[in-house]
Amino acid sequence: MTATSPTQDAPSDARPRKRDTRRRRKLHLGVNITAIVFCVIWTFPVYWMVNTAFKSRPEVMTATPIFFSQHPTLANFIAAFKQSSFLLDLRNSVIVVSGAVVLSIVVGAFAAAALSRFHFRGRRTIMVLILAVQMLPGTALLIPTFLVFNSLNLLGTYFGLILAYVASVLPFSIWVMRGFFVAIPYEIEEAAMVDGAGTWRILRSILFPLVIPGVIATSIFAFITAWNEYLVAYTFMKDQSMYTLPIWLASFSNPQTGTDFGGQMAASVLFSLPVVVFFLLIQRKLVAGMSAGAVKG
Amino acid sequence: MSPSTVPVASGETMAAAESPRQPGAPRSGPKRKRNFAPLWLLSPAALVLLTITVAPIVLLVFLSLTNYDQKSLFTGEFAEVGLGQYSSIFTDPEFLRSLVRTVLFATALVAGSVAIGMGISQLLTRLGTVMRYVVTIVLIFAWAVPTVASSLVWDWLFQPGYGVVNWLLTQTHLFGDLTDVDWAQDPVLAYLAIWLLIVWQAVPFIGLTLNAAQTQVPEEYFEAARLDGASEWGIYWRVTIHFLKPTLLLVTILSVIWDFNVFNQIWLVSHGGPNNATATLGIWTYKTAFIGFHLGEGAAIAVVTTVLLMIFTAYYIRNLVRSGEEL
Amino acid sequence: MRTTRFTVIGAVSTAAVLALSACAGNATNSTGAKGTIGTPAGAGKTITVWAMRGDLGPDTLNAINTQFTKETGAKVDLQVQASWEGITTKVTTALATSNPPDVFDLGNTQIPSYAANGGLLDLTPYKKELQQGNTWLTGLELPATVDGKLYGVPTFAGDRAVIYNKKIWAAAGVTKVPTTYQALIADLDKIKAANTASDFSAFYYPGQYWYAGMQWVWDAGGDIATLNNGKWTSGLSSEKAQQGLNDFKTFQNTYSSVASRTVDIHKPEHTQMFADGKTAAILGIPTEISTIKKANPKLTDADLGTFPFPGKSGKTQPVMIGGSDWGIAAKSQNKELALAWTKIAASPDIQNNYVFAKDGWIPNSVEYVKAAQATGLSPLITGFFAAALTSKSTPAAANWSTIEGDLSINQLFSSIASGTKSPADAAKAFDSHADSVLNGN
Repeated sequence: MTATSPTQDAPSDARPRKRDTRRRRKLHLGVNITAIVFCVIWTFPVYWMVNTAFKSRPEVMTATPIFFSQHPTLANFIAAFKQSSFLLDLRNSVIVVSGAVVLSIVVGAFAAAALSRFHFRGRRTIMVLILAVQMLPGTALLIPTFLVFNSLNLLGTYFGLILAYVASVLPFSIWVMRGFFVAIPYEIEEAAMVDGAGTWRILRSILFPLVIPGVIATSIFAFITAWNEYLVAYTFMKDQSMYTLPIWLASFSNPQTGTDFGGQMAASVLFSLPVVVFFLLIQRKLVAGMSAGAVKG
Repeated sequence: MSPSTVPVASGETMAAAESPRQPGAPRSGPKRKRNFAPLWLLSPAALVLLTITVAPIVLLVFLSLTNYDQKSLFTGEFAEVGLGQYSSIFTDPEFLRSLVRTVLFATALVAGSVAIGMGISQLLTRLGTVMRYVVTIVLIFAWAVPTVASSLVWDWLFQPGYGVVNWLLTQTHLFGDLTDVDWAQDPVLAYLAIWLLIVWQAVPFIGLTLNAAQTQVPEEYFEAARLDGASEWGIYWRVTIHFLKPTLLLVTILSVIWDFNVFNQIWLVSHGGPNNATATLGIWTYKTAFIGFHLGEGAAIAVVTTVLLMIFTAYYIRNLVRSGEEL
Repeated sequence: MRTTRFTVIGAVSTAAVLALSACAGNATNSTGAKGTIGTPAGAGKTITVWAMRGDLGPDTLNAINTQFTKETGAKVDLQVQASWEGITTKVTTALATSNPPDVFDLGNTQIPSYAANGGLLDLTPYKKELQQGNTWLTGLELPATVDGKLYGVPTFAGDRAVIYNKKIWAAAGVTKVPTTYQALIADLDKIKAANTASDFSAFYYPGQYWYAGMQWVWDAGGDIATLNNGKWTSGLSSEKAQQGLNDFKTFQNTYSSVASRTVDIHKPEHTQMFADGKTAAILGIPTEISTIKKANPKLTDADLGTFPFPGKSGKTQPVMIGGSDWGIAAKSQNKELALAWTKIAASPDIQNNYVFAKDGWIPNSVEYVKAAQATGLSPLITGFFAAALTSKSTPAAANWSTIEGDLSINQLFSSIASGTKSPADAAKAFDSHADSVLNGN
């Protein structure tokens, strides 16, 4: 690891001074050690989750923890798969999460465009209100939202749950995407207007493509929020065939039938995996989008 | 429902959006004719927010003026009590205690996660390609583990008798035998464990966001500072922080909002115990509204919490909105 | 701008009022006239039943449903809830909707609040028919009775007895089941001396296990709270209760591991500790025997034994009767069918051949308990039936569930076990909290 640092330095120092180089090398060693320590600490909980998930039953609870399983097993995963209806709940989660992601992007992008590319009275007030809405403790809104949904007949439907999640991520999405719209120079738009393009065409073919990184950011936020949420899903969905994965995960801490840490960790791994995959996939695009944005900025 | 439960993704891009602003760049406003575009662009969001967010908020405020409870849910009977709920909150000694706990703990959370996030952001700029990639992946892993799962993992890491953290700390021989310590049952340790959990998940978002902004700082500024003979620290404070300010402001405000309302992690780790030591306003709201089902009182606590949070952040939000307008 | 803003808010609050009143419905109870359940025709109809996983087994529920469909022609949509976190919120909101599930499986400590607040159908007119000539267990009937009206049909009961590992006991030289407190202590001392592993417990007794802790208080003659002239008075500070709490502390600290002082029975799972051989005994419920055997298939019926916990008083310690009742939603759209379903669930066939024989629970009526004892119980079940003879339950107050929900009673016992509070201080804090909660402040 440390071998990479000197080569990194070389180009920036046109005339290397000996003393300075030595100091910098020492600094680089320190930087790399810090990075490694950080990685060890930050990975440890994830490692311990995975490690426990693969342990055979007697290895889970031991007076001296076992850091590498001598008898790795898939038994915990198989048991987790069998518990309730993993595949059905996964399907429901996918429906609800993708619905929430798509809807929050579309609705959010429109609103963000209006709040950034147009001047109208009350714009600033709307912005502040959008941020203020975020300050309400989420749990407090559960019952009022339930009452509203009940009177709108939205309880027990995928659409209702999707709407609930869209509403909770929308303020944030609008803020984020607005930031991207704001960064686009007006000259581009003006040039298009001179060419006779209408508002809709400018939005569709010029502005929207430029805010793709914002779209990705919004999708990450909506994805995690919807993927994670437990209490609203549990109270709003009547039929257990429409339950989402967090409810499946919570069933591993059932005080009547008991639970074991191995099974719980295996379930946690299964639950986290799609998010990790989604993040890793989108991360590349995110970085690419960011650097593209930087060039234009 | 609660965005506060998620150490949210995305800031990276906000950074990309905020940072290109250069000092003294000309301000240009849209010189479009008055048209109805903003109206139809805003209407879908307005529809969703009015029905699914604003209506429940109005209802919440209304509930806070009533004695709405479980019976009201079943039978529809309730009475308006005016500001009765509010006066009972303000006279409850638990209110002040919860408020103090909330403010102190949120401060510790924001300070910890922003400071470590800044450190990571700076660290990333100093690393070689390989290490940079490794650290980024590690951050993404910590970020991507959902709160529900990470809270279960935390319980297991800190389990009395079998928790690996207890074992590791005992092995260091620094703190004595910690094998059987129950973190959730000691006020200080309970806070520490929850703090670690929240900071662990918040740092990736903050670190990556700040780093994205930091990479946008033009190299010339560093060179100039170096020629002036400034130390590394001096450069960091004078150049980097100056350019990071808008992003830092945004990240801090979001952290304040989320950490002030943090509920899931506290509930799942300590249930607000021992003896209410970790019962913040969020825990108090939940206990009132969902264990006793005193929904009217719970609503009033939520309203008070929100108003306090608005007051605490008003100045910074004004700055934030202004800096947004300048762009 | 200004005017539009106000119109918007006006419109929204109208919606809010509508939302509130939409839930109101009419929850009038069919009181007065004596009703009959009979066998309503239900062809083409479906009723929804919410059960909890870990209560009645799938075979039992299927048997009820099959019988129900045979009699009425109606179908059953069975929903078995597996997640307990937030279950009261889920049940409460479900009972508030205009088309709620029809039948609910409700814990006997949870049902008072649903009943007292008007969420459940008044079953008083049908009580005779539902009882089917039997006498229900008090611990199940009392919590479902509010102001003399019945809101639930007892489902099953469970209590706690000592489950012990015969191998470990025999290895320590103990072969006779202790019947007195002194004998139990002497036996546990031998077991403790024979097993020296740091995380071994002679008797695993988690500090937050308040059901176990209360047995000491009851044995000493104390109680959680008593009702006098409509007012609840908490009693853990009484001299007798204090004696019980002190004895609990001594026992817990002597025979259970240090790590167990602050934990609940589920983290780590106490049956798991037992199955792993980390303890020689636990205080468990009947169904935990099969949980133990599943966790460690090497343990068979021959290795396990049960007996009621002998009290210091000379009698066996009174046990907490747990269990559940079937409640019918006050707003149910299929009340007749729901009644017919619960009647079948309480019938002799289901209670004797399924609830008792298949699931291993204590059936809901005194007569069934006697019948079961007469047929000869398996040695593993006897301990539980013997323990059930002296049973107690939690205060039948509408707000009792708050005390369980906010975990203040867990806190009481764990702070005593861990020594962070003296029994007197812990009881004082709990009593003042319970007084205010139970009396509805």
